Amino acid sequence: MADGPGVVEDLGGMKVDRQILSMRRIDKRFTGVHALRQVDFDLDEGEIHALVGENGAGKSTLMKVFVGITPKDSGEIHYLGHQFNPRDPKHALEMGIGIIHQELNMMDHLTVAQNIFIGRESTKAGGILLDKREQARRAEELLRRLNMNIDPEEPLGRLTVGKQQMVEIAKAVSHSLRILILDEPTAALTDAEIDELFAIMRDLAAKGVGMIHISHRLDEIHRIADRVTVMRDGERVDTKPTSEVTKQQIINMMVGRVIYEQPKSKSNVAAGAPVVLRVSRLNAGKLVRDVSFDLREGEILGMAGLMGSGRTETARAIFGADEVQGGAIEIRGRRVAISSPEDAVANGIGYLSEDRKRFGLAVNLSVKDNMAMATYDRFERGLFIHAKKVGQVSDDYVHKLNIRTPSLEQLLRNLSGGNQQKVVIAKWLIRNCEILIFDEPTRGIDVGAKSEIYTLMNELTKEGKSIIMISSELPEILRMSDRIIVMCEGRLTGELPIEKASQEAIMGYATMGHQAVLSRS
Amino acid sequence: MANDTQEIGSMQRFLERGLKWVLAPAALVILYVFFGIFGRNYFSYPTLVNIIDAAYYIGFISMGVTFVIITGGIDLSVGTVMMASAIIGGTALKHGFPMVPSLLLIIVVGGAFGLFNGIFVSRLKMPPFIVTLGTMMISMGVGSIVSNVSSATFPIRHTPGGWFKSIFLYLTPAGVGVPTGAILLILVAVICHITLSNTKMGRYTYAIGSNMEAARLSGVDVRKWQMLVYVIAGLTAGIGGISYAAIYTTVLPAQGQGFELYAIAAAVIGGTSLAGGVGTIWGTIIGVFIMSVLATGLPSMNLEAHYQTFFTGVIVIGAVLLDMYRNRKAAEVRIETPADAYRASMAKNIAALRQELSSRAAARDAQGAAEARKRIAAARMEMRSTFAKMKKEEKAEQSRIRAEERAAEHKFAEALGRKEPSGQKEPERP
Repeated sequence: MADGPGVVEDLGGMKVDRQILSMRRIDKRFTGVHALRQVDFDLDEGEIHALVGENGAGKSTLMKVFVGITPKDSGEIHYLGHQFNPRDPKHALEMGIGIIHQELNMMDHLTVAQNIFIGRESTKAGGILLDKREQARRAEELLRRLNMNIDPEEPLGRLTVGKQQMVEIAKAVSHSLRILILDEPTAALTDAEIDELFAIMRDLAAKGVGMIHISHRLDEIHRIADRVTVMRDGERVDTKPTSEVTKQQIINMMVGRVIYEQPKSKSNVAAGAPVVLRVSRLNAGKLVRDVSFDLREGEILGMAGLMGSGRTETARAIFGADEVQGGAIEIRGRRVAISSPEDAVANGIGYLSEDRKRFGLAVNLSVKDNMAMATYDRFERGLFIHAKKVGQVSDDYVHKLNIRTPSLEQLLRNLSGGNQQKVVIAKWLIRNCEILIFDEPTRGIDVGAKSEIYTLMNELTKEGKSIIMISSELPEILRMSDRIIVMCEGRLTGELPIEKASQEAIMGYATMGHQAVLSRS
Repeated sequence: MANDTQEIGSMQRFLERGLKWVLAPAALVILYVFFGIFGRNYFSYPTLVNIIDAAYYIGFISMGVTFVIITGGIDLSVGTVMMASAIIGGTALKHGFPMVPSLLLIIVVGGAFGLFNGIFVSRLKMPPFIVTLGTMMISMGVGSIVSNVSSATFPIRHTPGGWFKSIFLYLTPAGVGVPTGAILLILVAVICHITLSNTKMGRYTYAIGSNMEAARLSGVDVRKWQMLVYVIAGLTAGIGGISYAAIYTTVLPAQGQGFELYAIAAAVIGGTSLAGGVGTIWGTIIGVFIMSVLATGLPSMNLEAHYQTFFTGVIVIGAVLLDMYRNRKAAEVRIETPADAYRASMAKNIAALRQELSSRAAARDAQGAAEARKRIAAARMEMRSTFAKMKKEEKAEQSRIRAEERAAEHKFAEALGRKEPSGQKEPERP
């Protein structure tokens, strides 16, 4: 991957007098939390300014203040040289400030053009009828200008997440933007899609749009941003040109302590460790084709691949969540039939979904209920649930996993992402699952909670549990895995012992299938 | 009274959690007292019996419906299933079936309709609204077909089989009615409550309603439990059918339409969310009694019974509105201003003084205690006035800022209007 600040050189000279935003001494308190403490933030015309910090550091709150979702307690915002007090995001948008949220807010059933111009449709016959043709033309022109290769007539739901996000950007840009805020835009994108997104961002920057780029992925910052502002505990730690800081320095500023992100040097699995799970010639849907692999006791098996390579589908097929067309699964040498998640759980398999809100948790239930969900049948005493035991065990795991919650009765929606994830992990640990499939276990959670989850995974394997870890972040795969398998287009394309693994080697396998498929067709 | 810090803390806690449990019962009590004051002879034993009588059949079916609604489903068939099973039982009786098997048949028929719903919803993944709408019509038809469109009359008191009326209303030799059915209603409610809160099935019911896919991926046999809640709804409809037969003696064919809506209304008034995952049996029972108080109270004020429908509607909408408002309030983040901080610190001081007072009192230091009491009173007074003043200042300050902001915004908008911001065009470069 080519990175380095080269691509932004031409912007280097135009910093002075081009400031379009200056936030001064922004302060915001919630009950019990001082969310923003006298924060300053600037943005220049055509600048890409990265805003980083752990969850709860205040970056989202700062942006919410800026676009009028949350009112500030004190401080001043100067935008284009005027004092600016946004009433709500709509007002901010009218003033040329757009925000793209982590979760996309668009309508799957409508076409791209309809999504872009919703609320501002082209009309004819005096405003009574929709002018679909004109609208499609406008959308096409807009998409072309932004170098996005998207058909405006396509229903949005048929596009990949990456394309959908581009449509959202196009929608924002169509409102004569001066400032665009991107909240974790790359969280769900493949590397190729990220490249495309960054090209579009640079293009916008060249047209003078200032961008605030919020990201957990620090690798991106040097590739795309001109300056970086680090926040911690509601304060701005520092703002620096990206060319003057290293990734390690940024991390240190974020957490106030040193975290080393080093690849694992050698496998922790003993040479003769027994095979716990053997998957042979598994077929399911379009994205799981003849997948075969072994998982050994105490092993963390990294499963790498691009978005849409079939990793999640493989995991779901093993877990019985989707229909399987063929293949065999053996657990400790014994052939098992898994046709539903219930069977999988009964065989000691736990699955941590990539989308915890949709598939992992019941956000309106309590911490306790979520933790015990997979294990209620073991907590029965006669006809009833042994409530005291449920309480004790959940309390145990709250402490063991260091879950920050005021009580076991707290509703899960009130917990932070990292703590929610720990609750899902606790659910499977309480069930005492031997085989754990972790699908993107650290997605959308902050650096601190991430390293806690890493530590936990290592402890689990020491206890003899075996883990399949699916991740889109190669450094994470390299840091955690004992062995790595790579998927592409539904097939297993490579296997690497950790000693021989590198980002380049993994990417080689992950893109191999593309070529193979291309050459075949 | 507790000291002030606790007072604030517990008040907030109450607003967030407790209020939910108090609102509906409070509304019930207020309504009852209201009719007691303005209605004729409302505070009387016969009226009470009437209230309870009127609560039976809706009460039973609403409990089953509560299960279904908590899973995120809906059951529109409970009303007609109740009447269909009652009329089928009555027809069996007419054809010489003994009493006990006939009553059991009523429950079995109810359960069978529930199973029918459950299979279509859980196995064939059909929308509950459609399935139960169909079952509503089917059960109405089945009732008419089986009874050959004639009514079924259950035995009256003091005839063979008439004993079953006493399950719901026992008449003493002096002719005083004892609403024994209340015991059955409470018994069923307790069973339902324990099922929901203390069994695997109950926890799964909430889990399915809160996030069905997450429950499935936790290894919960969603199909089985989802089917079972519809069976429960059918069974309670059967019990409701018996209670209807016992109270009204004659069951007409093709009846019961509309009862399901009252049952749903009762659940909703009691705080059950149609979105699933939230609800309690107690809430539903309170909802049932609110409607039954209305049904008996309005006639006692010389308002026709059909006013009941009107007011029930008002209460349903009001209850949900209130619940939404309360949820929003509870989720709202409070902003702590200096005034709040001041009040909190003063409350702490007062608490300290209180402690001193109690230690003085314990030491029988009458003079010291009196002095401490005086100081507490002074501190409270000061706290109140200063807090009010600070709040007022804060408000004034805020409105001043708002006015300034509006002015600035106006100026800004004017300036922007001239400049026309644009991210599409190349920005002008000096």
